[in-house]
Amino acid sequence: MCETGEAADSKDQAPVHEEARFSEMLEDSAEDLYEHAPCGYLSTLLDGRIAKVNATLLDWLGYRRGDLVGRMDFSDLLTVGGRLYHETHFAPLLQMQGEISGIALELKAADGSHLPVMVTSTVKTGSDGQPLLIRTTLFDARDRRAYETELLRARQEADQERDRLKLLNTTLQKTLLPPTLANVPGLDVSAHYHIASVDEVGGDFYDLFPLAAGTWGLFLGDVCGKGAAAAAVTSLARYTLRAAAVYNPDPAAVLANLNTVLNHEYQGTDPRFCTVVFGLLTPDPDRGGFRITLASGGHPPALLMRADGTADYLPTPGGQLIGALPNAHIATTTVHLSPGDTLLLHTDGLTEAHTTAAGGDDRYGDDALLDFGRDLAPTTASDTIGAVRDLLDAFGTGVDDDTAVLAIHVPRPLSEEQQ
Amino acid sequence: MTQHLTLSTRTTAAGPVMELAGELDHHTAPRVRDALAGLALRPGQQLVVDLKGITFCDSSGLTVLIAARNHALAADATIALAAVPERLSRILGITGLDDVFPSHPTAQDAEHAWRTASD
Repeated sequence: MCETGEAADSKDQAPVHEEARFSEMLEDSAEDLYEHAPCGYLSTLLDGRIAKVNATLLDWLGYRRGDLVGRMDFSDLLTVGGRLYHETHFAPLLQMQGEISGIALELKAADGSHLPVMVTSTVKTGSDGQPLLIRTTLFDARDRRAYETELLRARQEADQERDRLKLLNTTLQKTLLPPTLANVPGLDVSAHYHIASVDEVGGDFYDLFPLAAGTWGLFLGDVCGKGAAAAAVTSLARYTLRAAAVYNPDPAAVLANLNTVLNHEYQGTDPRFCTVVFGLLTPDPDRGGFRITLASGGHPPALLMRADGTADYLPTPGGQLIGALPNAHIATTTVHLSPGDTLLLHTDGLTEAHTTAAGGDDRYGDDALLDFGRDLAPTTASDTIGAVRDLLDAFGTGVDDDTAVLAIHVPRPLSEEQQ
Repeated sequence: MTQHLTLSTRTTAAGPVMELAGELDHHTAPRVRDALAGLALRPGQQLVVDLKGITFCDSSGLTVLIAARNHALAADATIALAAVPERLSRILGITGLDDVFPSHPTAQDAEHAWRTASD
């Protein structure tokens, strides 16, 4: 019992003792708190004249009390911009609302240097409700300003990096496409590449180039995926196709060659492949126009728009995409391109485009593209590409993948056109 | 727009079944590829990829299917697809992949076909 009593006594005494100690440690004088508070205090008369200022603010600004009190207005402490803001916003709002808080202003110190501060002011009123004076607290905002400047700098740097990346991607994209298509006598050629995103390099490609003895090779394809890895495959595919065509221009052999190269290069868990259509163009002196043999490796079929106004796909069923399988099956078809005929090759960015802003299952599709061709026929290469570009423009952001289109057209002889 | 894909795997006597639902594309493909690496396959088994819940599949999605096939073949196993959505089925047709991916209406059908072939 005795022990318990003693314990109770000491418990009672302790808080009293502690309170006194805290009190000692804490502010013993309101005056000292005012003068040396960790913020600036300023009292001004209603006309702006400084009536009272604490030591903290004097210290920040490098003034003596006598320099300010009764001699300067609050606005005299502000920079030119700050004074303007004070006059047009700060003072009217304060008058209207009776208080204003968290305003960022810059003070001018005695030595001319600037001090960013956060300002809060309230109007003190007398017992009759009449305003008497303005009380202002000012917080040192140098750290905050430095932080904001740093944020802004980081943001500007990020923007610059993004611009550089865009430029790099666009440049890289251009290197994957021929600067100009070869001029084939007796054939009009037009092409377009639509970049869906400037943030990543797409994997579509095309080319048209001369082969031996008046024949021409052309191809258009789509490497799976996006970005630098896909661009590397695109580059490899382009050069392999051109080299293989020189070695043996048979379209099926060209694609078989590319298949071997890609399949050896990329195996296992990161397979890389492309769908591609390769064509061999040969002038047909007997019938006029050209003969074209198309080999397809899993690529959407070419669209033939004829001189008589009809249009059809040229199916190449069973052709397998290139690079994924050791012995891909390649399907070929041969057609005659008569004067007035136009052949369009495309990548599926066109047919997979969303036709409405809503997204979902609203893709353009193969049937719509066939109808598009039937409406256009008979047409020309440049008119076809122009119409496709209009179509892509109409889809806008609905085109979420890169799209390449290549059209070739056999012009009618001049005499026939005049009729 | 957030890209969603749910992935779950289960094991049957015939082999693992990987169920995919949502969007199989550029953004979600790496997850499936990682999951493939951890898939146990014994020689003679069949890996079934159940695509019933797939709402979108682009060329990166095809890459995943081919990676799955490579994984199965490397383990002396086979691969089959189940419940291939119509649009994906059309893409498999255009790209000629329908020849190398046997497909079945359901995962159960795929398992049944494996048993019949094994008997």
